[in-house]
Amino acid sequence: MSASGWIMMTVVLVLVWGGFVYLLLETAKHDRD
Amino acid sequence: MSERNDQFSTRWGILLAAIGMAVGTGNIWRFPRVAAANGGGSFLIAWLVFMFAWSVPLVLSEFALGKHTRRGPAGAVGHLIGGRYNWLGAFVGLCTCFIMFYYSVVTGWCIKYFFATVSGGFGGVDQQTYWENLTTSNYQPVLFHFLALVIGCFIISRGVVKGIERTNRFLIPILFVLLVVAAIRAVTLPNAISGLAFLFTPEWNQLLSHKVWLEALSQSAWSVGAAWGLVMTYGVYLKKKDAFVRTSYTVAFGDYSASLLAGIAIMCTVYAVLPQAQAELALQSGNEGLTFIWLPQLFQQIPAGQLFLALFFLALSFAAMSSLIAMIEMATRIGVDLGMTREKAVPLVGVTAFVLGLPSAWKLGFFQNQDWVWGLGLIVSGLFISLAVIKYGAGRFRDELINTEDERHPAGRWYVFVIKYVIPIEFLALMIWWFYQAVAVYDPEGWWNPFHTLSLGTTLGQWLLLIAVLVLLNRWWAARVGAKEGG
Repeated sequence: MSASGWIMMTVVLVLVWGGFVYLLLETAKHDRD
Repeated sequence: MSERNDQFSTRWGILLAAIGMAVGTGNIWRFPRVAAANGGGSFLIAWLVFMFAWSVPLVLSEFALGKHTRRGPAGAVGHLIGGRYNWLGAFVGLCTCFIMFYYSVVTGWCIKYFFATVSGGFGGVDQQTYWENLTTSNYQPVLFHFLALVIGCFIISRGVVKGIERTNRFLIPILFVLLVVAAIRAVTLPNAISGLAFLFTPEWNQLLSHKVWLEALSQSAWSVGAAWGLVMTYGVYLKKKDAFVRTSYTVAFGDYSASLLAGIAIMCTVYAVLPQAQAELALQSGNEGLTFIWLPQLFQQIPAGQLFLALFFLALSFAAMSSLIAMIEMATRIGVDLGMTREKAVPLVGVTAFVLGLPSAWKLGFFQNQDWVWGLGLIVSGLFISLAVIKYGAGRFRDELINTEDERHPAGRWYVFVIKYVIPIEFLALMIWWFYQAVAVYDPEGWWNPFHTLSLGTTLGQWLLLIAVLVLLNRWWAARVGAKEGG
């Protein structure tokens, strides 16, 4: 895979999966409030 | 059903139910093919843009409509902006009902393939023959269509907390675990990197192609579940203090995450087993072709393939069922809003869906027609929801119904801009493009013929027929759901 492919994969996965996990953690935090 | 059972009990309950609604078969069988066929990484950029330029604003609008009016699509629009416009919301609800009729057939296929894999295989015939035998059989698709509806209606008859919430608490975490296991298995296959390259390597010139942007918009619109009326229905069961802006973002990110997991699993498996030319052939074979003909063959060629194939069809069945129960709940809500008891509405929905799903179970051509007409109808539903918000006042809608005093993450001004300008423009662009496809590509000879499977005539004919019926019934319907006078 080319460098642009690796970069795109990293950016997309960090954004989407990272965003999802962050939002889940936030939900967990506030569910305890 | 008791009042206590009428609302989601926790934020997790709301969130998992909404993610279950969004993640369906389209994430698993459509996203990987469409992404790979439209420039890989370039498609992903456009797809990410439409999360905010279509899906999230409509999900926010639906939550707000359901929560504020305490009605599903049958009455929410009329209650918000006046009975004269009630048919706009009714169209949204009935469009999704038409999808439900054939979606339970799809769910049945997934369950059938799971059972076939677990029970030791496909009877010694090749996959093409097995699929043709299934779809041309008179009783097998009907039996599994019936089974899917019985399971779905049983869950819905248990109510919001004991039915929808408990089921999704079980289905969705397992679905994500299965997708993660499938993705890890796939990336550890030899030559899996070719699959990743096709999925992620950007072809920058493709960003100038209108086709890439329109395919990305279609995928986002269909996948996240915006404008299906399903979120509106779940919004009815929010407590007054329940905020939903973060939930809406989480649903969209969860749906996109599931798509990426499925994309990695499928693309890596396809490219690990097949040479490039054949891999492209497999990806061009359509949703059913890829899932029910190619993937079973491919899994059989990898170590422990039978086990992973069973896990794959289990994930697909869970994804389909979690979406199907949202559709059954929405249809039930239409009955309840029209004055029926829930106890009567659930079996009525089950029987109606079974009978009206039979043509799709018997004829693949009819199934494809309905998938085309009502899948595209969801874009009309998106426009109708945005028109309802615009009529109410998009800024007022955001300030009064979304950014309530309990909301810690208020929606910004971008919401108003997208609803007022971006969604109507996207609607026009999508319609022009899809209609052009229908006339120039799918059926150049018979594009006008309402009895052709993928013609412009069949699409406009069925939409206009539904709209005409709803407009004729509008006064009666609006009165039944307690819509506001006039408009």
